[in-house]
Amino acid sequence: MRKNSIAGYAVGALLGLGLTGTVSAAECIAPANPGGGWDFTCRTIGKIMHDIGVVDKPVQVTNMAGGGGGLAFNHVVNERNEDADLIVAASSATATRLAQDAYGGLKADQVRFLGAIGADPGVIVVAKDSPYQSLTDLIDSVKADPGSVTFAGGSAVGGFDHLKVLMALGRAGFTDIRKVKYIGLDGGADALTQTIGGHTQAMTGDISEVVGFLKADDVRVLAVMTEERVPGFEHILTAREQGIDVVAVNWRGLYVPRGISEDDYRKWSDALATVAASSEWAAAMKANGLAPFTKVGPDFQDYVNKVVGEIEQLSRKIGVIE
Amino acid sequence: MDILANLTQGFAVALTPTTLMLAVGGCFLGTVIGSLPGLGPSNGVAILIPLAFSLGLDATQALVLMTAVYYGAMYGGRISSILLNIPGDEPALMTTLDGYPMARQGRAADALVLSGVASFVGAFLATIGLMLMAPLLARVAYLFGPAEYFALYLLAFCTLGGLTSRNQAKAVFAAALGLAIAMIGLDNQTGIPRLTFGAIHLMDGVDFLVAIVGLFAVAEVFIFIEGHGRGSAIGTSLGRLTIPVRDIVASFGAMLRATAIGFVAGILPGAGASLGSFLAYMGEKAMARHDKETFGTGNPRGVAAPEAGNNAAAGGALVPMLTLGVPGSGTTAVLLALLLTLDITPGPLLFDERPEVVWGLIAALLISNFVLLIMNVPMVRLFVRILSVPPWLLLPGITMISFSGIYSLSGSGFDLILMIIFGILGYVLRKLDVPTVPIILGILLGNNMEDSLRRAMVISDGDWTYLFSSGIAVGLWLAAIAGFVAPLFLRSLLKRPEKAAD
Amino acid sequence: MRGDRVFGLVVTLAALGYIVSAAQIRVGFLSDPVGSRTFPYMIGGVGLLCGLAMLLRPDPDPEWPGPPAVVRIAVTLVVLVAFAVTLRPVGFLLPAALASAILAWLIRPDLARAALAGVGLSLGLFAVLKYGLGLGLAPFGRVLTG
Repeated sequence: MRKNSIAGYAVGALLGLGLTGTVSAAECIAPANPGGGWDFTCRTIGKIMHDIGVVDKPVQVTNMAGGGGGLAFNHVVNERNEDADLIVAASSATATRLAQDAYGGLKADQVRFLGAIGADPGVIVVAKDSPYQSLTDLIDSVKADPGSVTFAGGSAVGGFDHLKVLMALGRAGFTDIRKVKYIGLDGGADALTQTIGGHTQAMTGDISEVVGFLKADDVRVLAVMTEERVPGFEHILTAREQGIDVVAVNWRGLYVPRGISEDDYRKWSDALATVAASSEWAAAMKANGLAPFTKVGPDFQDYVNKVVGEIEQLSRKIGVIE
Repeated sequence: MDILANLTQGFAVALTPTTLMLAVGGCFLGTVIGSLPGLGPSNGVAILIPLAFSLGLDATQALVLMTAVYYGAMYGGRISSILLNIPGDEPALMTTLDGYPMARQGRAADALVLSGVASFVGAFLATIGLMLMAPLLARVAYLFGPAEYFALYLLAFCTLGGLTSRNQAKAVFAAALGLAIAMIGLDNQTGIPRLTFGAIHLMDGVDFLVAIVGLFAVAEVFIFIEGHGRGSAIGTSLGRLTIPVRDIVASFGAMLRATAIGFVAGILPGAGASLGSFLAYMGEKAMARHDKETFGTGNPRGVAAPEAGNNAAAGGALVPMLTLGVPGSGTTAVLLALLLTLDITPGPLLFDERPEVVWGLIAALLISNFVLLIMNVPMVRLFVRILSVPPWLLLPGITMISFSGIYSLSGSGFDLILMIIFGILGYVLRKLDVPTVPIILGILLGNNMEDSLRRAMVISDGDWTYLFSSGIAVGLWLAAIAGFVAPLFLRSLLKRPEKAAD
Repeated sequence: MRGDRVFGLVVTLAALGYIVSAAQIRVGFLSDPVGSRTFPYMIGGVGLLCGLAMLLRPDPDPEWPGPPAVVRIAVTLVVLVAFAVTLRPVGFLLPAALASAILAWLIRPDLARAALAGVGLSLGLFAVLKYGLGLGLAPFGRVLTG
């Protein structure tokens, strides 16, 4: 997070557009720099909303990097609580941070979750020349000698990439999580580079992060953490098929301010549902390695509440929160 | 040969009147953005993303515009470093050390031309390197694990001792201060905030741009107001603009060495242009035999080396960005974002799958480079005029630009207040003869250094010998030790003649 | 001499404070072998040594500003802070004009020039930064536009 922000933090140049007060068109806040998942969510969904005519004017994307999404969350809760023209990109990382109380005391119920319309499936990846052929190989090895495997991921310790590994190991009956070796790098590509270079044994991340390397035949995906195999990647077994009952996807969705009217909430959720059903979105998902995952409206709110609860419990267990 | 055929194809794509105009416009805009304190290459590229879309540019044209701005900003950063002692962006930091003294001696134009040529040499050779061996070089990134990165950062800090020749305690203190500031924010290895005192603005740490602009630009305002401009380069009489052929020839070797160092630093993700220019400068100073003491007082090689180094690093940083999708620097992160928005996914297959994009980009880089070289020499005349703008207009102007640039980072007053605090700090430190460059380096590299050490210790279960487990790591350690011990050793040798000179 | 001694003392105390704050860093249940506190401790330790070194072996004193210069610097500081605080609520134009004018006057006490600097810089830079470079600046903030 941190080094990425060194990056285009500056990109907040765009941010100011949102602060000038003359917001007539709808605005989508991506709480990170351009290039990441949140930015993709805003730009793609915003563009499709306009292309298929569910909004009149192009959706303006504002990048507001900071605090792992906390700055934007804070901004929405405290300054834009009744802004009906505002949508904000969210993902599993948002839920994770809320569960871990990483937004300065703000809670998930201070905004309304609108919906998710796609998900980046979690994967466990090893280098091409790795001795591990399947997820069970890898997990058996961790069970036999936890010191023999270091996992690399794009999030900090306690972040979603790390939790995925812990959940998978937990389902396989390995619960001594303090022994699991994990290092957090600056993004999935970096974690993958370390793994291909042989410095770490396995990488945990999202499927979109490994597509290029997979095509170049540099890596082997041991398992994808979805219920069904991912379209376009049918040769990759799910964790479930290998007897590890874990589903972990990085969903891509939106939230809106708490204080908007029921009508406005319905208007946005209808718009999002229309996007989800569009062929444009199907194409965008395919191009970016996203799997279908549509939950819109109150359903999604329930889902987020459930996930936040689960992560909170797990985080308490591993000591990320007290 | 293949490469030539590819390059011809690239030029065919990139060399149309429209794209040439975009290149010229982009170079100019980039130079201006780069030279403004608080606005760096990442701003430039980021500002242009929406512009590229509203102009309806196709992928190649957008890339040409972006790379022109990218390289333009890398060239431009040096201008305010040299003229005002304010780095336009972080890679231009080292250029203040000798560039500003040159300007104070009335050689601003010479320093600008020389650094322009050095920038060209660095960027041009780096582009050639990218062209010839990018897929091969990508493998270098695989060789660098946490142990190697740690040794690399250690090398950077160990050579700091050679930065100033006077009070070592002050140089070390400055580095420690930078490192101390770098620790603020979320701890990457545990996800727990450190030293933020509950402030959400500090969760992501202190942005180095805030520190640079505060320590240099704001401090400069205080210094100027205190002394009515005594000792400032503003108002220095300007000599005639000539091409400093002798300096260029004399520092050509320095440019080549700096290019090599910078390029390698650029290839390694996370190291980037700042480390490239720093190591290039320190390397050049370490190699100097008879004129070592003139570094820091306006040695032309001290201007040429960091500029060649940072521009070469900017080219080198494109290697991991294109072949691995790993941005090696702040700016390449924004370029990466642009590529993704254009539906181009960098990765190991980019060179095979989208040759037209890659070779179009390379052609664009070469074009931008020549445009910048040609544009920069006559533009020097314009730039040095900045020094003849009356101070009562120039200084408030710089202040307003700095504040606006920093404000645009996050749209909050918090960063501005922090910047003013850095400004006061910079003023006091400069009074006390504490160097400010190590502070910025500490902020820039501190987290990387800590993270790599901690990652290494996770991998090895706390076994310290892992840090010396590869040839690369051992080599870097040896260089680091040499960099730390050599200055101490040499100083005691040099001490007597120095005293005699007093 | 005195400058360095005072500064050395400040650095020593700050380093001690830093070490104390580092000791407050929460250490999770899942910690790596090095841990969150090691680096801050080391940095604090190095800072402490440097502070002591400056205390014990101070450099000759720099030339400190006389009272008039201190006043000028203090006014500058107030102006900058005021600009920082008002930029968001009041917008760019008015604070920038005032701040530029005062800074210009401090550099050259001439009312006409100061006024010119204020108006010219505020309008000119706003146009360049906002429309030329696309920075997110508002001409008038919420306080003024309601």
